Amino acid sequence: MASIADSTIQAVTLLFGGDPDLWEIIGISFKVSLTAIVLATPVAVGIAFLLAFGRFPGRRLLITTFNTLLSFPAVVVGLTFYILLSRQGPLGDWQLLFTQPAMVIGQMALALPILVAMGHSSLQATDRRAWETARTLGAGRLRSTLTLMREARFGLFAALLAGFGRIIAEVGASMMLGGNILHYTRNIPTAIALETSKGEFAQGIALGLVLLVMAFVLNGLLQLVQGKGRPVA
Amino acid sequence: MSQLLFHGVEKRFGRRLILEGVDISLTAGHCQLLCGRNGAGKSTLLRILAGMERPDHAYVTVDGTVRQWRRAKKRLLAECIYLHQQPYLFEGSVHYNLNYPLRGGRAARESRIREGLEWSGLTALSEQPVHQLSSGERQRVALVRAWLRGPRVMLLDEPTANMDTACRQRTVELLQVLKQQGMALLVATHDIHAFAEVAESTWDLRDGRLRDADLAPADLPEKVTPIARRVRWTA
Repeated sequence: MASIADSTIQAVTLLFGGDPDLWEIIGISFKVSLTAIVLATPVAVGIAFLLAFGRFPGRRLLITTFNTLLSFPAVVVGLTFYILLSRQGPLGDWQLLFTQPAMVIGQMALALPILVAMGHSSLQATDRRAWETARTLGAGRLRSTLTLMREARFGLFAALLAGFGRIIAEVGASMMLGGNILHYTRNIPTAIALETSKGEFAQGIALGLVLLVMAFVLNGLLQLVQGKGRPVA
Repeated sequence: MSQLLFHGVEKRFGRRLILEGVDISLTAGHCQLLCGRNGAGKSTLLRILAGMERPDHAYVTVDGTVRQWRRAKKRLLAECIYLHQQPYLFEGSVHYNLNYPLRGGRAARESRIREGLEWSGLTALSEQPVHQLSSGERQRVALVRAWLRGPRVMLLDEPTANMDTACRQRTVELLQVLKQQGMALLVATHDIHAFAEVAESTWDLRDGRLRDADLAPADLPEKVTPIARRVRWTA
């Protein structure tokens, strides 16, 4: 087994040398996770709005459910959708198992609770007067809603970053629903798991470095965004 | 609309009766004051009149037609504007806030914003972020923003609370101009003295009912002047 230093040097060479296999894996990861977050966000914001401003039976139960789902293990999400999408499952006819759309579905399910819970918190924290002011200034319901989203934009963006951070690095659902197929469903976390099990640390470290840099960038953005979120009386 | 009449306004919060059969009329070019103790229901009444809070019962006469409040709500939202005690300004600049209620082309909107800034003496603060404004400046921005929307009725909730004398005077002057422009004004306040020169009528909201302020002199603040006590029914 090569030393850690050797593996790290190889990893950096792979990254900056433009290794096509490595960059293809990175590309698949971002493609799947960005698709999942783009599809999940409008749904989540809609639910967060309902939970923050709607008054209907079961609202509190729904809030508790989404908060509970925050700690739902990725592998259990993977297992659930595996059963649903497998040939004998109720959605077996869709023939999605071991495809990128299956990974997108799994990642959407993982991102949704974070987006809803954090979106709900940030919307609920907005001043009630914001909505009333928009309405009394002649804005219709749609414009008032968009105004409220603008007022809560820092919190909503923070939710987006946290959701993306969760799904880009998860391995359980991607492994079970994507199947880790080279050139198709192999993404960063599943590739790291595979390469490490083979004793090929260089690629694993290279991909791990990508995740680390991305985590640093996401957290930096989060700090920047949260710092800008200033309460306006 | 020269007059907007509300009849039998009732509102309960749980078992507590806040408003009981309140009748009030809002007349173009008239300013009325609404006083009463904290929690008497002044803000609730203003919000109902503005179409923002659903009453348990109320009828509204608009253009000679009597309608239930819920059927008149859209009209109320369109013609009345409510200013919170601590006005909410959207995050951004003064210019962004003044642009919010305006419609039409950019040139027309810019011209109206300039007009509003000059009217209120806020021209120098146009690009200032609102979180950097003093409470008096915030109140003025809110007032100009409301004026730019062009409502027929303005309902103000304690507009001079926590203001120094100069700011208060400036706000009263702006209200005087609005009144002269034909706007109907209803001002909830504890400081009747400050609005004495602009108001024609004063109401006291007590135990859910509106009373002629002259009939309850003992409960009115000490600063009440003879002018402020000059109460007229506009209905």
